[in-house]
Amino acid sequence: MIGGALMAVSGLTKRFGGLTAVEGLELELLPGEILALIGPNGAGKTTTFNLIAGVFSPSAGSITLGGVRIDGMPVHQIAALGLMRTFQHNMPFAGMSLTDNILVGRHTRLRASLLDILLGRRRFREEEAAARRRAAELVALVGLREEVDRDVSALPFGEGRLLELARALAGEPRIVLLDEPAAGLTQPEMARLAATIRDIAARGIAVLLIEHDMHFLLPLAHRVVVLNFGRKIAEGTPEQIACNAEVIEAYLGGAVGSAAGRPGHA
Amino acid sequence: MPGASRVLAWLAAIVAASALAFWLGGYATDVYRKMLIWIALALSYNFLFGIAGQVAFSHFAFAGVGAYAVVILAHKIGLPFGIAFIGALALCALLAYIVALPATRLEGFYLALATLAFSQLVLVVIDEGGSLTGGTGGIANYRLPPVLGFAIRGPWYTVLLVLLVALTLWTLVRLDHSAFGRACRAIRDNAVAAAAMGVDVRRVKVLAFTLTSTLAGLAGIAYAYVDNVINPSVFGLENIFLLLFMIIIGGSGSHLGAIIGAIVVYLAPFLLEPIVGHGFLVVFGVLVVLTILFQPAGLAGLLTWRAARQAT
Repeated sequence: MIGGALMAVSGLTKRFGGLTAVEGLELELLPGEILALIGPNGAGKTTTFNLIAGVFSPSAGSITLGGVRIDGMPVHQIAALGLMRTFQHNMPFAGMSLTDNILVGRHTRLRASLLDILLGRRRFREEEAAARRRAAELVALVGLREEVDRDVSALPFGEGRLLELARALAGEPRIVLLDEPAAGLTQPEMARLAATIRDIAARGIAVLLIEHDMHFLLPLAHRVVVLNFGRKIAEGTPEQIACNAEVIEAYLGGAVGSAAGRPGHA
Repeated sequence: MPGASRVLAWLAAIVAASALAFWLGGYATDVYRKMLIWIALALSYNFLFGIAGQVAFSHFAFAGVGAYAVVILAHKIGLPFGIAFIGALALCALLAYIVALPATRLEGFYLALATLAFSQLVLVVIDEGGSLTGGTGGIANYRLPPVLGFAIRGPWYTVLLVLLVALTLWTLVRLDHSAFGRACRAIRDNAVAAAAMGVDVRRVKVLAFTLTSTLAGLAGIAYAYVDNVINPSVFGLENIFLLLFMIIIGGSGSHLGAIIGAIVVYLAPFLLEPIVGHGFLVVFGVLVVLTILFQPAGLAGLLTWRAARQAT
């Protein structure tokens, strides 16, 4: 294990009945690093996210965040330790305003007790005002349009992606998990998203992302991990990955040694 | 609204609602008092159902626990009123917490069933309570003892009910505009995403249920001294559906909606009964269906929509 790793995943395995979705995965993530997780559909990328975020408990292996074991911990406790995420499909709080959506992302950073709230104590008022200022900053940072009290359920898909990102960042995370953040974005939105992600990483936040769009991903990621059938088949810089034969085979459907025909992973 | 003018607005509303108590007489006072109780119950039920998204049918059961507990403790057992009052409220909170622990693990339909079963259980206990609860006949012939040396009688009791509504509204608005209120709404809209944002879903659900059920108990305690009579039929299932109608017609999730819904649904039978007799329940049913289909934000949504249109 690298001494400076923020997150370390070791021997991570998840079985659903007879199906092994993730097997023996090793991952390390440094502060400020952008690590991309790629692989064909069904490779186990989203399962890996769900294991790290605590939605599933692993069948074997361990996950540590800042030296603390987080595997098997409830989702909200992992979030409180500074791990925030976005979802592959937009999951807004549809009955709430845009600002309130982002403020929910700040939940773990708000310390006022119920008594502080009921008595309207200064601690609560100041914290709330600061949270609202931060939410407005994040709206601008991710490139959402300014009208903050728009009907969230009517947001176009692309802006819904940006809201997911703003909501995750509102928790001032140490690490963010982004599940296909660029899907459905226009070219200018994608360029802006790439700049935002670089900006996040420059502040020391570790970024783990799943993405399919290689034109978006390769210039952005510091390191790429390739999964296929739940296993890591390659790891390296974007340049190394782009010319790795096994990766090309997995993606292009295997002209040489048909990946889909490999035994033992069905 | 800046702080000072907000305080003034609250004071003006409380004074106006209290002044009404001195102006109304006899029968109208009785109607007004019960309407205030309904508003208090609708406000707390709106937080539970409309904001926290918990489809629970135990609200009147907790009002009943509050009412019966305070009367039994103060008048059957003979404890000092202050102790009986705190005891009744504490019992509501404790019971609500005990019910919430398993019940909030349940979703939608199953939570509704579990809380319906609890309501029936409370009714059975009251019905079978013998001389302690007075059985199906209830308890009568008691009076509110002097509180801190003051005998609260006539319009002053109505003022107390206005303060009950104000306290309930103030508490719930404060909670709504905080991390707690946002967590409640987030769980209602998408519990998976709420947990991923660090919301302890179980804890927030249990807290929301316990707090709102305790407020229902407080309204029940106040109700016990409106007629100085309590009987089990008031806390039965018919009224919980009326409460649900109030929330839906007024605008689920809106404090203003809960107030408007309570006033409209409580007063409507007085106007409708001479025309359609007991058919007013059918009118409510049709109204609820129409609201759900065409105006999900209810009467409050209609108001804010008009205000928004006029502003532009």
